[in-house]
Amino acid sequence: MSSKHASNVSPSERIISFTIGGAMLYRSFKTLHRRPVLALAAGYLVYRSIAGYCPISRWMGKKDTHNPAINIKSYLTINRPRDEVYRYWRRLRNLPTFMKHLERVEERTDTHSHWAAKLPGMTGAIEWDAEIVEDQPGYFIGWRALPGSIIENAGKVEFSDAPDGASTEIQAVFSYHPPAGSVGTGIARLLNPLLKTMIEGEIWNFKRIMEAGEIPTTAGQPNGRRNGKTKVI
Amino acid sequence: MKALCWNGVRDLRTETVEDPKILNPKDAVVRVTMSSVCGSDLHLINGFIPSMQAGDILGHEFIGEVVEVGHDVRDLAVGDRVVVISVIGCGECGYCQRQLWSLCDNSNPNALMQEKIFQYPTAGIFGYSHLFGGYAGSHAEYIRVPFADYGAFKIPEEIRDEQAVFVSDGVPTGYMAAEMAGVKPGDIVAVWGAGGVGQMAIQSAYLMGAERVIAIDRLDYRLAAAATHGKAEVINFESADVLETLKEATGGRGPDCCIDAVGMEANSTGLEHYYDRTKQFLKMETDRPAVLRQAIAACRKGGTVSVVGVYAGVADKIPMGLFLNKNLTMRGGQMHGQRYARLLLELIRDGRLTPEFLLTHRVSLENGAAAYRMFNERNDGCLRAVFTP
Repeated sequence: MSSKHASNVSPSERIISFTIGGAMLYRSFKTLHRRPVLALAAGYLVYRSIAGYCPISRWMGKKDTHNPAINIKSYLTINRPRDEVYRYWRRLRNLPTFMKHLERVEERTDTHSHWAAKLPGMTGAIEWDAEIVEDQPGYFIGWRALPGSIIENAGKVEFSDAPDGASTEIQAVFSYHPPAGSVGTGIARLLNPLLKTMIEGEIWNFKRIMEAGEIPTTAGQPNGRRNGKTKVI
Repeated sequence: MKALCWNGVRDLRTETVEDPKILNPKDAVVRVTMSSVCGSDLHLINGFIPSMQAGDILGHEFIGEVVEVGHDVRDLAVGDRVVVISVIGCGECGYCQRQLWSLCDNSNPNALMQEKIFQYPTAGIFGYSHLFGGYAGSHAEYIRVPFADYGAFKIPEEIRDEQAVFVSDGVPTGYMAAEMAGVKPGDIVAVWGAGGVGQMAIQSAYLMGAERVIAIDRLDYRLAAAATHGKAEVINFESADVLETLKEATGGRGPDCCIDAVGMEANSTGLEHYYDRTKQFLKMETDRPAVLRQAIAACRKGGTVSVVGVYAGVADKIPMGLFLNKNLTMRGGQMHGQRYARLLLELIRDGRLTPEFLLTHRVSLENGAAAYRMFNERNDGCLRAVFTP
């Protein structure tokens, strides 16, 4: 079977499956006639560890051990000249003014920076180092986290003149690559929608900082008693 | 402070809430001196606009006195008597700079939520659901005004409160309705809905040179006001065939300009009304477009239909065949009050616009629920009830 299907069990998972499955199989050997289901489960774990393929995982949608990257794309027009928009972004320490999930970005050299962030669903900050991998002044900035980061991530922003000659079109892509394996996939599934909404909102806030100089909010305004009643449709 | 809050469909309560404070550098806090009910609030109260939450403070048409300004406010000072435009505009985005303030890119904190429905988000509006930003409204003693330099206009001394308050929303909406309808000297204009906005559309159409304006409603007291204060001819749609009467009144051509100042909760007669009520109840359409259908049918060939009555979502049986084959122009929009405020204040000062008759009832915030009930049921000759906190 393993020859017909790509492996969808990662090396670490195979080791865990073999260890647990083997131990269960050994312990249930003497009581096989009384607890056949347990023995069967143990056998299945050993099978998936040796074959490197798991039909149940496949049935649940996992085709290989590679976790696809989460790509979040935004397109916006900003009513400011292209150079000004580029310059604000290129000064990476500005990013936390509109990306609220970033605690800080320290620019250590012209291309190397240190980032600290809080992600939805995680307690405490995570930190990583990043480098600018491509820089076309006024037009393009691309960066990526250095190898060894907890969450592999990269991003790029393209700046171009809008047809009105006064404003700037930006195309931003943020990519997150969750750690390999089922745990990584689980985190990614959980994070994906939260992350997408968060990043999309933060790119909108970039426009707001550039144009209006502040981010609109209602946090802290008065309201009457919230009894939970809402009108959805 | 006291504030009138939405607590559920047709459930309003006057509650004690925190005072507002400055949250952003371009904010001001205004002590509300007058805050008017608006027909568009009824869509919130009757449950036809989504994303209301219990505890939301209602109200978007108001004047007051500046009591505090954020450190980036340049033009306003404490003590200024101001009228504040209902829609909030940042003044800096491409839309605001083209004077399309209700399309502001930056004033709606819930832009992403709205983008999912409208595809592109529009401006925030005071007290008008979370889809439009979730801003606390003006039926309160104080209100926080974001981007105050752009949204708050000083009221000239010679203009009285009851004239100025409607410059917040009702007057610019009516004026923009006539402007979008392209009213030119010699035109015959038909206005559906003789509420506050319709009354202002009637006066504005004459200002732009209309030869005749015809008001259509079912309430005789409102039609009488349109005749008295707007010099309009009137049709009561419950006792006359609107299409036939308009044809007769226009030499068989139809009106050049048709203005829908009613929107999504239109009343109509006969089977059509029950059809729309049923579909709306079953959530098969969000809006009852009876007026829009009739305006498209009534409009002369090559004429213009202008829509300022509020619609929220989808409406059925719009006669597209008539729209196309009669070569009509159709325009709509929430008003860009910031664009018109100074002009309108001048027109009012010169006596060329007279909105003050709209104020039929002065009420306290404590009687807010009762005032809205009266307004909703069109009792006691009510055009606009205005809170004086």
